[in-house]
Amino acid sequence: MALDPNLVISVVAPVHNLAGSLESFLEDATRALESHYAFFEIILVDDGSTDATPSVAATLLNRFERVRYLRLSRHFGTEVAISAGLDSAIGDFTVILSPETDPCERIPELITQARRSGGILCGIAPGLKKRNPFTQHAASLFLSYCHQKLGIELKPDSTDFRILSRQVVNAITQIKDRRRYLRLFTVTVGYDIQYFEYLPICRTGKTQRASFMDEVNQAIDIVVTSSPHPLRLVSRIGMIASILNALYIGYIALVYFLKPHVAEGWTTSSMEISVMFFFLFLILAVLCEYVGRLLEEVQDRPLYFIAQEKNSSVLLEHQVKKNIVHVSTEPV
Amino acid sequence: MNSDPAWDAVIVGGGFFGISVALLLKERGMNVVVLEREKALMTRASYNNQARVHGGYHYPRSLMTAIRSSINFPRFVQEYARCVLSDFEKYYAVGKIGSKVSAKQFVTFMQRIGAPLDKPPEHVAKLFNPQLVEAVFTAREYAFDAKILADISSERLADAKIPVWFETEADTVCRTSSGTIALNLHSKKGGGGTLDTRWVFNCTYSQINRININSGLPIVPLRHELTEMTLVEPPPALHGMAVTVMCGPFFSLMPFPPRNLHTLSHVRYTPHCTWPDTTAESYVPPLDRFESMDKKTSFDYMVRDSMRLLPCLSECHYKDSLWEVKTILPLSDVDDGRPILFRPSQELPGLVHLMGGKIDNIYDIPQELETLLHGA
Repeated sequence: MALDPNLVISVVAPVHNLAGSLESFLEDATRALESHYAFFEIILVDDGSTDATPSVAATLLNRFERVRYLRLSRHFGTEVAISAGLDSAIGDFTVILSPETDPCERIPELITQARRSGGILCGIAPGLKKRNPFTQHAASLFLSYCHQKLGIELKPDSTDFRILSRQVVNAITQIKDRRRYLRLFTVTVGYDIQYFEYLPICRTGKTQRASFMDEVNQAIDIVVTSSPHPLRLVSRIGMIASILNALYIGYIALVYFLKPHVAEGWTTSSMEISVMFFFLFLILAVLCEYVGRLLEEVQDRPLYFIAQEKNSSVLLEHQVKKNIVHVSTEPV
Repeated sequence: MNSDPAWDAVIVGGGFFGISVALLLKERGMNVVVLEREKALMTRASYNNQARVHGGYHYPRSLMTAIRSSINFPRFVQEYARCVLSDFEKYYAVGKIGSKVSAKQFVTFMQRIGAPLDKPPEHVAKLFNPQLVEAVFTAREYAFDAKILADISSERLADAKIPVWFETEADTVCRTSSGTIALNLHSKKGGGGTLDTRWVFNCTYSQINRININSGLPIVPLRHELTEMTLVEPPPALHGMAVTVMCGPFFSLMPFPPRNLHTLSHVRYTPHCTWPDTTAESYVPPLDRFESMDKKTSFDYMVRDSMRLLPCLSECHYKDSLWEVKTILPLSDVDDGRPILFRPSQELPGLVHLMGGKIDNIYDIPQELETLLHGA
């Protein structure tokens, strides 16, 4: 098959402590890309690995062509690592994938599909994350809340494996939100979204277990970054509570004027206090989330810092070695 | 000394540095000859480069190189006025993501070395993508026409009556019993010979270690890069403009007067591969290696990255590529500086290795020569 001469493909792969599986990933990715495209780049974004990843990457850069290695100054999280990769990706189409689980050989086929639709392709890997029944149920409740109240359609089991056109990448890099829940942004920037299912592979040999607390944090991030819906909800509750409170004040006044003996009332006053405090803290909790978000926006710090950028430097010596034959046979 | 050698100095390499050294030595009354591998002067690295007369803007992380550039800049512009092209607009931009300097640091640094920076016109500032470019400045910097510079240099050699032997390569050097140097050479047209000389100036840029290895002398640590600068027709909005984005994996668009085109080069994509001069056994002269190398253009990569910062570049048309071996001293990897190499050989007194990183560094040479010859 002839190589496509007009298309540049960028692959963004966030990497965190993956020294062991980096090589097989680069082999697979290079094989899949070089058989279809004349121009491509693989961007490894090292999200502050603490294992041997930097030195392994440095060796691999001597072996694989068209690889770029960006090392972030510390661990920022997958979302930020992907953002860093997108900020520096040059391709007409950008593939985001997790080197641990996403199969590289699907890339050419998916790009062809993305060229037809011109927008976004999102991967869905059923059963990639092992959840217990309770978490699973909570997750589906949350997704239906997002769909009905926030107007965002999130697919269950959607992963970071996605194909974005240049137009979409440009749109996403303009979002300066600190908490980048990228999976969400790719959905909320609009454009045409299509989904594809795939079977995840397992390069590291470990199954991914979803931590309940992580998922709760992610859920809060999703809601808070995308909609003021909870804020409006609690402000309404607060309003109702204050109306009730006002009525209660009237009731107390009436009791005071009309009743001769006002002595007990411990039950009502403590009820009132506990109900009011319940609302108060609920409102405060939500406000805290938004104030925190505002604070981060106001500070306007860079989302990440790049500690190092290295490119493939395949030395001639390495290429020459490949051309050495060890066995010479007589022509038949 | 027993007898006077035939030549006071043999200059190996008819590039800009070799020619300049020949002229300086001739001024001192020395009897010199220039050996050139190609059929004409200044056809290799002196021609195949960005043609930038550095004003110091380019090195915001190497103070020495920047200061020397800003001092040498007016001298070069005055001395070689005929080849200097100044009637184009020069813009320096500072990248926002991945830049090793911030706009503020850039301004402070340029103030310190006295390189002027001004606010650009509104219509120019608007051409850049504010998401990726922090600031844009108008700078004072020029380009030179490598063809005219070669003409000027040839005329000067002719005026000074310095012979140039074309298609001639120096192979080995060794000490003679009378304390001079015997230089063996061969001509591509056939034949060879030996020159008897007091000094040998090795100004062969990428090929510096060829003589060393042939003569059994130690290697000067050097690193080579196969570089590609693309020649492009810029979009109408960028006609008569030079744009350089600092200071990281960014691009540079410069007029290239001899071809009436612009060069588009990119820090990440201009170097195609790199190799060091390591051992005598594995040594292949870089220019021989250059001939056999695979030269597939990186224009598609360059333009795709560049148009993210300067969107109108999407309409620039690829015309050709300038390929060359670029040689750098390993020490400049860290601070990006371009010091010159001026290294008298310890093992063979009289042999001097000389390599300049940029054309206007030539003004650092006379003093070094003075010290060397005076001490001798």
